[in-house]
Amino acid sequence: MKAGLNLIEASELLANNETSSVELTKFYLDNINKGEELNCYNTVSSEEALKAAESSDKRRKEEKSKSRFDGIPIGIKDLFCTKNIKTTASSKILSSFVPTYESTASQNCINAGLISLGKLNCDEFAMGSTNKTSYFGSVINPWKSKNSEANLVPGGSSGGSAAAVAADLCIASLGTDTGGSIRQPASFTGTVGLKPTYGRVSRWGIVAFASSLDQAGPITKTVEDSAALFEIISGHDSKDSTSSIKQKENFYDNLNSSVKGMKIGVPKEFKSDNLSASTQKAWDDCKKLLQENGAELIDISLPHTMDALPTYYIIAPAEASSNLARYDGVKYGIRENGKNLIEMYEETRSIGFGDEVKRRILIGTYVLSSGYYDAYYIKAQKVRSLIKSDFNEAFKRVDAILTPSTPSTAFEIKNEPKDPVQTYLNDIFTVPVNLAGIPAISVPFANDENNLPIGLQLITNSFEEQKLLNIAKNVQDTINYAPNLDKWWIK
Amino acid sequence: MEFDKDSLLKLGKLSKIKIDENKLSSLSSDLGSILKFIDRLQSIETDNVDPTSNSLDQSLVMRDDIALDENSAAEILENAPEKELDFFSVPKVIE
Repeated sequence: MKAGLNLIEASELLANNETSSVELTKFYLDNINKGEELNCYNTVSSEEALKAAESSDKRRKEEKSKSRFDGIPIGIKDLFCTKNIKTTASSKILSSFVPTYESTASQNCINAGLISLGKLNCDEFAMGSTNKTSYFGSVINPWKSKNSEANLVPGGSSGGSAAAVAADLCIASLGTDTGGSIRQPASFTGTVGLKPTYGRVSRWGIVAFASSLDQAGPITKTVEDSAALFEIISGHDSKDSTSSIKQKENFYDNLNSSVKGMKIGVPKEFKSDNLSASTQKAWDDCKKLLQENGAELIDISLPHTMDALPTYYIIAPAEASSNLARYDGVKYGIRENGKNLIEMYEETRSIGFGDEVKRRILIGTYVLSSGYYDAYYIKAQKVRSLIKSDFNEAFKRVDAILTPSTPSTAFEIKNEPKDPVQTYLNDIFTVPVNLAGIPAISVPFANDENNLPIGLQLITNSFEEQKLLNIAKNVQDTINYAPNLDKWWIK
Repeated sequence: MEFDKDSLLKLGKLSKIKIDENKLSSLSSDLGSILKFIDRLQSIETDNVDPTSNSLDQSLVMRDDIALDENSAAEILENAPEKELDFFSVPKVIE
């Protein structure tokens, strides 16, 4: 089997009978086994995957395939509830939870015939940018810095989803993005990460973090795969009251990489001293490239960019403190005994949650508590309106916005700063997009001087994912980024 | 900015999270640092701005009112750490 197959290539091999779903599934289960050191998977569901692959091959023989992607193995972030397969959100409190139902997004994958290889590691309850908050330990980035053996973070929270795609431990994966959790790890691993418009993909059955920001999306090897997998998981779902009623679109078939005449906005507020020189250069090179391909560059301003992160760190913890109230040792998850009901709650939550999750619940409770609600929570919701209105103004003048995905490339696992606020700064370029509810994609563009991937972010207006994918494809096809990753974990 | 011990313990009570004595100091400085960071919003002028709670330009969608036979008691109780008959079971509550 050729290494590094993408979704489209695999579908062609299957269509031409050059491989079978069972053969593909066995190949990836073997890769997962060899890549155990990377700690990408919390649960590998070999038996279920092979059984599903056999059914897929039978369907194909009988010409009853569910879609052209029937039989292709993918990985699923351990935040999507999967029926009869353990779903932990990488938290101790849910370490024994086996859902009796399937999330809509993963059910849509099953309906298209995709095979789940297992559940991918992530930051606990998707809270983090390094994957270090997982109860099951850090995921290790398959990339290493030139001349160093040190392990690097894959980014987060969908760190396992991004690292598994980069290391070829699945063909594509599902992640979720509340403040950058798909785009930042995609940027750190040389993969393509799409955060759709809020409401495009149903949130039903996804462990909730911050409900007004959470959105699921694909992490893939190419823009074409991103379009295809996004098409599979998107669409209205009556079980999610914030699911968009817009019709599902044929994002893959409608890909068109021309950018002629398009207006690309470059926001001045993203030029920051914290931006590494190589990321700045990649950003500049991409501007030039788009210009050469016929797009027009326009300087724009998003004046509230720097207010987005503090706004996010009020709204997201507030919503999280409410969402995570359900983990009380009664309905599901672990229970720690106490002398009475209240002590049982307090002991269970103290033992079941990790430090970062506790910090966010405490801050969320603080900003929602009597006397602080208006000063923090309502204030943040008002600033959120200003951030959204900045984007609305910008999209009157431009088709899309180009920025870096992250201020720097992947850093060493042991180098995470002690002050949590320093870690939060990783998401400075991705968070404004979630607050505005608009779609964005991170595309690998180049490697830095240490041979680590740099991702660039494209942003469009709500429900303009087709345009977003088209521009991303233009960039991808022009640069022809070849990951050239050394598989050091295979001994 | 730092949280004093009493307000931190009160916050723990409100959040139903027991805070260990030996974590008080580090938690106080972590939360203080976050609070200082989010306090930056206080200087932004928002007098005539409406709050945004959700970015979707669409009113919430209602399902048709159709009875469905799903979520059996057995399924709902499957993950309960302790149960008795068809009920979740908790420590005795006596006021």
